[in-house]
Amino acid sequence: MTNLLWTMFHVLVFPGVLFCVVIGVLLAGLDRKLVARMQNRVGPPLLQPWYDFLKCCGKETIIPRHARRSLFLAAPVLGFAALITVALFVPVLSCSTYSTSADLVVILYLLTVVGVSMIVGAAASGSPFAGVGLSREMVAMISYELPFVLVILAVGRMAGATTPLGVTFSLQAIVDWQAANGSMLFHWSMIPAALAMLFVIPCEIGMHPFDIAEAETEICEGTLAEYSGPPAGLFRLTHCVKMYIMCALFCAMFLGGISTGYAALDALVVVVLSVVITFVTMSVPHAVCARFKVEQVFKFYWTVVAGLALISLILVWLGL
Amino acid sequence: MIFTNYLVCFFLVVLGIYCMVSQKNLFKIAVGMGLVDYGVNLLIVSVGFHDGGTAPIFNISELTRSSFFVDPIPQALTLTSIVIGACTTAMTLCLIIMLYKQYGTLQSDEIRRLRG
Amino acid sequence: MYDFMYHFPVLAIMVLFLGAFIASLVGRRNAVIRNAVVLIAMVTSLVLILSLVKPILLEGQTITYWLSNWEPVGDWAIGISLEVDALSLFFALIVVVAVFVSGVYSFFYMDRDDSLVNYYTLFSMLSGSVLGLVLSGDLFNMFVMIEIMTFTAVALTAFRNTYEGALEGAFKYLVVGSLGSTSVLIGIALIYSQMHTLNLAQLAAMLPGYDSPVTIIAFAFLFVGFGSKAFLFPFHPLAADAHAVAPASISLMISGVLTKCGVYGIIRLAYTVYQNVDVNVMNALKSVCNPMNANFVQYFITGVGVVTMFICVTMAFNQHNFKRLLAFHSISQVGYVITVIGLGSALGLSAGLFHAMNHTIFKGLLFLTAGAVQHATGSLDLDELGGLSKKMPGTCALFLIGAASISGLPPFNGFASKWMIYQAAFQKAGETGNFFFVVVCVAALITSVLTLASFIKVAQSVFFGQLNPKFAKTREVSLGMRIPMWILAILCVVTGLFPDKVQQWLLAPATSAAMNAAGYIDAAMGQGYAASFSIPSFQPQSIFLSGAWQPVMWLLLLVSVTLAVCIVALLGSDDKAPAISETNTDTPADPKYESFFSGEASVYSQVGGSDLFWGFKHNWRHYFSFMHNWHSGVVNDYTLYGAAAIAVALVLCVIFL
Repeated sequence: MTNLLWTMFHVLVFPGVLFCVVIGVLLAGLDRKLVARMQNRVGPPLLQPWYDFLKCCGKETIIPRHARRSLFLAAPVLGFAALITVALFVPVLSCSTYSTSADLVVILYLLTVVGVSMIVGAAASGSPFAGVGLSREMVAMISYELPFVLVILAVGRMAGATTPLGVTFSLQAIVDWQAANGSMLFHWSMIPAALAMLFVIPCEIGMHPFDIAEAETEICEGTLAEYSGPPAGLFRLTHCVKMYIMCALFCAMFLGGISTGYAALDALVVVVLSVVITFVTMSVPHAVCARFKVEQVFKFYWTVVAGLALISLILVWLGL
Repeated sequence: MIFTNYLVCFFLVVLGIYCMVSQKNLFKIAVGMGLVDYGVNLLIVSVGFHDGGTAPIFNISELTRSSFFVDPIPQALTLTSIVIGACTTAMTLCLIIMLYKQYGTLQSDEIRRLRG
Repeated sequence: MYDFMYHFPVLAIMVLFLGAFIASLVGRRNAVIRNAVVLIAMVTSLVLILSLVKPILLEGQTITYWLSNWEPVGDWAIGISLEVDALSLFFALIVVVAVFVSGVYSFFYMDRDDSLVNYYTLFSMLSGSVLGLVLSGDLFNMFVMIEIMTFTAVALTAFRNTYEGALEGAFKYLVVGSLGSTSVLIGIALIYSQMHTLNLAQLAAMLPGYDSPVTIIAFAFLFVGFGSKAFLFPFHPLAADAHAVAPASISLMISGVLTKCGVYGIIRLAYTVYQNVDVNVMNALKSVCNPMNANFVQYFITGVGVVTMFICVTMAFNQHNFKRLLAFHSISQVGYVITVIGLGSALGLSAGLFHAMNHTIFKGLLFLTAGAVQHATGSLDLDELGGLSKKMPGTCALFLIGAASISGLPPFNGFASKWMIYQAAFQKAGETGNFFFVVVCVAALITSVLTLASFIKVAQSVFFGQLNPKFAKTREVSLGMRIPMWILAILCVVTGLFPDKVQQWLLAPATSAAMNAAGYIDAAMGQGYAASFSIPSFQPQSIFLSGAWQPVMWLLLLVSVTLAVCIVALLGSDDKAPAISETNTDTPADPKYESFFSGEASVYSQVGGSDLFWGFKHNWRHYFSFMHNWHSGVVNDYTLYGAAAIAVALVLCVIFL
C-alpha cells in the first residue's frame, strides 16, 4: 500500500506531473522575461505561460472538418503523458525514481514519441499549414538526432570504459560514474559533447532560432495551426515541460555526481542549473538570432554540432 | 581432360554473365542465363568425374574396395539442376512474350518503368 | 518427445505441397473447395509446427528425419535429411504464421481476380518450399527449395499481369535472382568437390579439419547467393520492383518470408557449418576460434548490412509508390538483421533473430494495410491519396501501429529488437575498442529516425491531410481483411511488451542452437561424431545488457499519467467540455470548421508525397539524384551489380586468404 502511495506520489507530485509543470512553466516564463529584458522590453509576468494555459482551457475546442477527431484530441494527451514518463526516468542528480528501468537510448526514443505525437496531431488536423509544419518538425528531428546519438555514445563510452562491457547506456551507471569520478563536464574531452548537447536542447524543444516547425510568421504556427482550446493549451504546456526535462537530462548526463544527500535540495540544485542552461541555450540565442531556414538547420546540426559531438566521441574512444 | 572441363565451364559462366550484362535484347539475356546454367552443370558433373572410372552401376555384392567408378551423386544433382534450369528458361520465355505484348519492345533499356 | 513427432516436420512440408496439388486438381470449378483445401493445408502445417515448440524450443531436443529412411552408412550421410533444431524451428514458426496470415488475407483480398486456382497453387508451393528450406539438413535440398521458392515467387509477382510493371518486376527478379541461385549452386559444387558430402551436419564436422581455400571461396559464393535471396545490397532493386507490383499478400511473403530464408541460410552457414573454420589464415594463431571472431568475415557481413540498411532507407525518400517505399524499408530492416548477425556475439545473434521475427510481423502488417488501401481505392500513389483516415479508420489505426513498430517507437516490438541491436553493436565496439562498430551503432540509430521520417510521410500522404475528392466513395475494407492485420498488430504489441519472455522462450534456444555446432552434428550423425573431428563442445555465452528497458513498467506509468491528465481534464471542464458533434462537420455552412487558410476560402490542398521533408532532401540532393540514376531500372545494370557483388566477394577472399 505504501508502495502504491509512493508510486502515486512519484507520478503525480515529484518528479512527476506537478513538479514538471511548475518548473516548466517557471522556466518558460523566465525565458520570455529574459528575452524581453535583453531586447529592452518589459516582458510578460513570470507566470504568463500558466495564464495562457488557463485561458486556452476556457476556450472552445474547434475540430476542423478535415480532421480525424479521435487522433486530433488524443495526440496532445499522449504527448504530454509520454513526456512526464521521461521525467520519471531521468535522475534528478543522485535521486532517481525509476532510472533503472530505462536507459539513455530509451529516453532518446521516448522523446521521439513526444515529437511524433505532435506530428500525428498535426497530421490528423488535415490542414495544409500543419502538413508543412510536420514536415519541418520531422526535418528538425532528423537534424538533432545525429548529434544527440553521438553525444549519447560518447557519454556511454566515458562512463562505461571501466566496466567489463566497455560501454554503458544506463543513466544510473552514468550518474554513479560521475559521483565517483567527478562530473562529465569537468573532463576536458567531454566538453565538445556538452556543447553539442547544449545545441541539441533548443532544437529538441523547438525554441526560437530553431522553431522552423512553428514559424508563426511563415506557416501560422505550423503543427499547431488548427489547435484551439484545451488541446492547444496542453501542447503549450508540453512545450514548457520539455524545457525542464531537457535541462534535467543535461544535468544528469554532464553535471551528475553533485549530491547534497537530500532529494529536495538536489531538486533545487537541478532547478537552479536548469535556469542557467535555459538562459544559455534558449534565451540568448532567442534574443540575438533570427530564425534559421529549414535547410540551414539541417546543415548546421549535421556538420557543426555533429562535428563537435564526434570530436568528443573520438577523444573518448582514444581513451583521453 | 578434366582441366579442359573446368576451363570450359568457367568460360561458359563468364560468357553467360557477360551476355546477361551487355546484351539489351531480352532473348539474348535468356540465352545468357542458359549459358550460365550449362556452365554450372558442367562444373558439377566434372566434379564427380574420375578419369577411367566405370559407370556407377553395381550390385552390393560386386562392390569392392578396388572398384573404381564415377561419383553418382553429382550426376543426380545435375539432373535436378537441369530440370530447374529448364523451368527457369520456360518461365523467362513466357515473361518475355508477355512483356513484348505489353511494352511492344524487346529492348531491356526501354523496359524500365520501375526505377529510381 | 513422442515418436510420431519425428514425422511432423516432413508432414508440415508435404501437406503444403499436397495442398497445392489438390487445389489445382479440384479447385478449377469450385472456389469454396479450393479455399478449404488451402486453408486446411495451412492450418495443418501451422498446428504441426506449433506442436513441435515444446520439445524443440523449450526442451532443446533436435529432430533428424532421414527421408525414405536413408540413414548414414559408415559415417557418410548420402540420404536427404531434415534436421530441425531450435534455429530451424524458430524460422519455421515465422514462416507458418506469415503463411497463415497471408493466406487468410488473400481469400478476401484477391476476390476481384480471376484464375485464382493458379494463385493458390503457387502460393501453397511457395509456402511449402520456404518451410522445406528452413527445415532442411542438406545443402542441395536447400538449393532445390530456393529454386522452387524463386520460381513461384516470380510467377506470383507477375500474377496480376495487367498491372503496370508487374511483368517487368517479375522479369528482373527472375534474371537477377537466377544469378543468385547460380551462385549458390557453384558454392555447392565447390563444397562437394572437396568434401564429397552435402549434409550440413557432416560438413560442419569435416570442414574445420579440411584446410582448403576452395571451401572458403565456396562460402563467398554461398554468402552472395543467400544474400541475393535476402535482397542485400546490391540486390535490393529487385525487391523494390517485385514488392511494388506483386499482390499485397505476396509482398508479405516476399518481404516477411523469402528474405528470412536468405537470413536463415547465412546464419546456418556462418554460425553452424563454418563455425569452427579458421577463416582468416593470417590469424592462424587463433587455431580453435569462432570464425566469427576472425575479423574479416565479421567486418564484411556487418559492412554489407550497414550499407543495405542505409542506402535502402534513403532510397525510400524518393518513392512515390506506397508499396515500393515499403519494399525499400523492408530491405533496410533486413540490413539491420544482417548487421548484427555479422557481430558474431550471442547478444548480436539474439537481436538479429528478434528483429527478423519482428520484421515479418510489422512489415507484413504494413504491406497488408497497403493492400487494403489498394483494394479500397485502387491506387498506391502517394501524391494522389490523402485523408483516408476518415474513410478507413481501422486500417489507419493498424497502419499507425505498424509504422510505430518499424520506426522503433516504444513500446512496440521494433523498439525492443532495435534496442538490442544498438546494445549489441555498441558492446562489440566496447569489447574490441574498434571505432568501426561505433559507426555501425550510429548508422543504425540514424537509419531508425530516417525510417520514422519516411513513415510520417506515408501517414501524412495516405491517411491524413485532406481527402482527394476522387476517393470520396472509399469504404473500409471487409472484416476478413482486417482480422489478419489485427493478428499481426497484436503480435506487434505483445512481443514489444514482453521482450524478456520472447528472449527466454524463442531467442535463447534459437541462439544457442545456432552456435551449438557440436550438438547439431551429433544429432544427425550420432553421438560422438563431432568429438571424433575434434569439434569443441558448445560453451553457452551469457548475454549481458548494458542498459535497461522495462516496457511494461513504462506502459503502466504512461497509462497512469494519461489517466491522471484525463481525470483532471474531465473534472475541470464540466460545462466547458467541447460540445462538438459529428453532425456539425457535415453542415458546410459554418466556416469555423474549415481548415485555416490565411483568411482565404478553404480549397482542397493536400501536403503529402514528395512535398515533404524539403529541408532534408535539399541538402542531400546530389546524393539522391545519384541514387536515382543508379537504380536505373535496366535489367542489365542490376545483373551487373549482382555479378560485381560476386566478383567483390571472390576478390576479398583471394586478398584475405
